[in-house]
Amino acid sequence: MFVAAPWLTNSDMSLLFALQSWSSWAPFVFIRDSKYGMPAVQSFHLMGLTILLVTVLLLDLRVVGLGRRDYGLSWLARQLKPWTLGAIAVMIFSGLLMFLATPGKYVDSRPFRLKVVLLCLALLFHFGVLRRFTKTDSAARPRAVDVLVACLSLTLWFGVGWAGRAIAFIP
Amino acid sequence: MSLFEWCQWLQHTRFATAISESDYLFPLIEGSHILALPLSVGMIVILDLRLLGIAFCDGPAGKLVLNLLRWSKFGFAVMFLTGGLLLITQAGKAYGNAFFRTKLIFLLLLGINAAVYQKVFYPKMAQWDSARGAPAGAKFCAGFSLVLWIGVIVCGRTMAYQF
Repeated sequence: MFVAAPWLTNSDMSLLFALQSWSSWAPFVFIRDSKYGMPAVQSFHLMGLTILLVTVLLLDLRVVGLGRRDYGLSWLARQLKPWTLGAIAVMIFSGLLMFLATPGKYVDSRPFRLKVVLLCLALLFHFGVLRRFTKTDSAARPRAVDVLVACLSLTLWFGVGWAGRAIAFIP
Repeated sequence: MSLFEWCQWLQHTRFATAISESDYLFPLIEGSHILALPLSVGMIVILDLRLLGIAFCDGPAGKLVLNLLRWSKFGFAVMFLTGGLLLITQAGKAYGNAFFRTKLIFLLLLGINAAVYQKVFYPKMAQWDSARGAPAGAKFCAGFSLVLWIGVIVCGRTMAYQF
């Protein structure tokens, strides 16, 4: 396989080389080697996770009509939007810091690759499908579609979370 | 037997070692503990932000609260169950850990804070909810809760780095 696609291994090597030279930049060294650098970055990642997933959860629960319906779907979607976007920004920024500070933990990690794929799918689904569903209150579609959309959304986002956690346990 | 000795005994019981030595159980329990954050702490944070007047302000908080508190009960049940199991597997290491102790104190204070809110402010919520803005006391409870929950997350994450 390596003979058949030398460009693949070559680009992998040069990527790893580039990543490792970046990771010697002082702020990354501080995050990696100081006593509280990594826990601090991960704490921000977890706070972002808490906010991001609770906004997704509230939206999905409302889409399937679980819980009280005293407020409209589009109202809820508008209220949650800045918090979802802010949390995504915090998660990506803190995630990039971890990745760039310790690239060796991630480049060969299978759960990490799965996480990146699921993250792309989750983002596409969220902004391509779910956000369109929540623009109006009046739904002229079968409930099964709503349930499917909410389940897919939750499966993708929590899949990203589980894949992220698996990085620590599976090579 | 001192509390420390008891913690060490607990960590070395067959039940505890079965969890910590299992390839699947420990990651599953730890993952569940972390991914229950939005369902428990997340719901409370949304409520705190609403009470502080930072977010979700142009709708009635009372209705949001009833919706949220129901889900958060399930989230906190998962949290205490998985947290208890994690503690059993690492009781001896957790005992002297400053971050673990701080986390426990924060959780205790958060419990008291929630009880005060429930007793003093919640019963009259319908009255002040229609008028814009919560009373100062309720806002204090919300701010206190927000800051301490952030502290719980930071301490919980940091303590594992010291084991």
